Amino acid sequence: MTTETIIERTGDKPAKISFGRLWDTWGVTAILILLLLCTPAIAPGFLEVENLQSVLRESAYVGIVAVGMTFAIASGAFDLSVGGQLALTSVVSLMAFSGGGTAAAIAAAIVTGLLCGLVNAGLITRLRVPPFVATLGSLFVFRGIAYLLTQDGPKTLPYSQIHSPFVKLGSLNIAGLPLPFIIMVAVFAGGWILLRRTAIGRRTLAYGSSPSAARFCGISDTRIRLFVFGLVGLTVGIAALTYITRVWTADGSAQDGFELKVIAAVVLGGTALKGGKGTLVGTFSAVFLVSVLNEVLVSRGVESAYQRIVLGCVLIVALTIDGLRTRFAGPGSFRRAITGLIPRKTTQATS
Amino acid sequence: MIDAIKKVPLLVPLVLVMVILSISTDTFLTVGNLENVLVAAAILAIPGMAMTFCLAMGEFDLSIGSTVSLTGVVCCSALIAGQPVPIALFLALAVGAVIGLANGVVITKLGVTPFIATLATMVIVRGASLAYTDGHDQIVSSAGLKYLVGGRPLGIPMPIVLAVVAAALGWWTINRTRFGRWVCAIGSNRDAATMSGLPVDRIRIAVYILVGLSGGVWGLLISSQLQKGNGQLGLGFELDAITVVVLGGTALLGGRASIIGTLLGAVMIETIRNGLNLLNTPPAYQRISVGLLLIAALALLAFRREDRGAKPKRALAGVQESAA
Repeated sequence: MTTETIIERTGDKPAKISFGRLWDTWGVTAILILLLLCTPAIAPGFLEVENLQSVLRESAYVGIVAVGMTFAIASGAFDLSVGGQLALTSVVSLMAFSGGGTAAAIAAAIVTGLLCGLVNAGLITRLRVPPFVATLGSLFVFRGIAYLLTQDGPKTLPYSQIHSPFVKLGSLNIAGLPLPFIIMVAVFAGGWILLRRTAIGRRTLAYGSSPSAARFCGISDTRIRLFVFGLVGLTVGIAALTYITRVWTADGSAQDGFELKVIAAVVLGGTALKGGKGTLVGTFSAVFLVSVLNEVLVSRGVESAYQRIVLGCVLIVALTIDGLRTRFAGPGSFRRAITGLIPRKTTQATS
Repeated sequence: MIDAIKKVPLLVPLVLVMVILSISTDTFLTVGNLENVLVAAAILAIPGMAMTFCLAMGEFDLSIGSTVSLTGVVCCSALIAGQPVPIALFLALAVGAVIGLANGVVITKLGVTPFIATLATMVIVRGASLAYTDGHDQIVSSAGLKYLVGGRPLGIPMPIVLAVVAAALGWWTINRTRFGRWVCAIGSNRDAATMSGLPVDRIRIAVYILVGLSGGVWGLLISSQLQKGNGQLGLGFELDAITVVVLGGTALLGGRASIIGTLLGAVMIETIRNGLNLLNTPPAYQRISVGLLLIAALALLAFRREDRGAKPKRALAGVQESAA
């Protein structure tokens, strides 16, 4: 390391606000605002109220699950099964609705989501399966069960129920804001309090930055896993409610590739893949960045195949910045990340 | 015998499943059916070999399913454009290798985690395949391409020949060459490997190219079987490839590789699929069974690790798990 780094580190002054640190939390938000400012030029009609409402409504279910996933990634684990969980929860909830109405549907969604999360946590803590493979396996199991339940065709909301309060969940606007968006904001607020203002949130971050150190401090990893994966399940339950009242139907193939969308949003938002760092503000902006980008591409007539390519490239670029920054972590990391684009050998502890 | 079982624990459940299937169905134990199982297993084992290297190194490649689709599309559209078969095959393999190279460079030079980097290339390559075909099938009828799956040199189906060659090469490379040793060294401790002066980045890139190439071969075999290529082929294949390797006992955290295990893993998966088909179970059960098999195999591995006392402290095992 250069001498200037050492001087900066040993200085007595309180850490001055560095561009890098600001970027960590607000970078994606800045890009989002920039993109929104550009939209009138590149996609006329984007800023119309109805279009904005539809973007907010569409983002809700990705955003809600992204809250749970932020916790999972901050604790150093992925949950790859969220797509399967969403399909299964949606199917079960729709079945409960045709049996017992609104209350049953909501209860079924929450309970199924939580159960899925607990199954994952059990696999990881009891059977000692690494989170990656445990959730990869359960993704297929959950989707498979959803397929089994919908063998006679997808479950749907009957059209006759259009005036039931349940359907309103997905379509109601309060003061011009779609209800799913309001639910999402509430979930984000709850998540922020959990992460920043409670012991369990702090423990999750501690566990993510060093599981062994956390263990030596008396943090139970069983409890962390239960909390994190249970929370993911819970958010999937809530998201499933906004999803089915929006699209009215679900089967085993519902939202194929959902896990990618959610993980992409969380990682774009600046939550470190290695764990120990989570930013819900970033996740929130990243969810909208992706959906605004998609909406702009759609309105420009770009095919869905090319949208995938753009999304993948955005992800790689964002992570390249992240990777270079962690490589040159510390003050002034931003500048060194840019000069560090020239490849050189490094040591990386985790894969 | 006991020694063999200890080395390849999959042997016992595999024999068990085969015995159960031979008793419960009349059709399982026929030459035709067994050949079907073996051909399917051979097709799965070829990318399994390359993936064994990747997992032995402690990393994943999730983009292989999309590679299957794109290489199949490239080969079929080259044939449709009137290119001779060897050029079409070469083009497809070249595309596979380039995808692998891209993965390797993004991971090693740009410092993106393998999981996310290959997840992103998975989406990009799938998108490219869909964009190129515009959602249509690229249907070909080429005797040359058909030979890859249907050919029978010396009366043995071609995929089995290819798989045996691939397995022999894989076994030799892992157990008898410097490269194989290096791959396992990186898998057991990358920092130590770097500090010992191994060309870590180059080895990792080479392994990703190998996986890309094997994805190309897989794509060719699949298009040869179906005589078409399209953007939907190979969905979820990455799970199959990883499951095969993990079932075979290659450690998920790297450092160990079992080529024979991978071969048996492929036979196991295809036997179960075949059995479920013969027993007329709905396809949904097949998905569930693959998922359960994966979880069960890893849970067993974790328990065996504890029994042997190789990881005496729970705390230690937990640290490595979360690093994966």
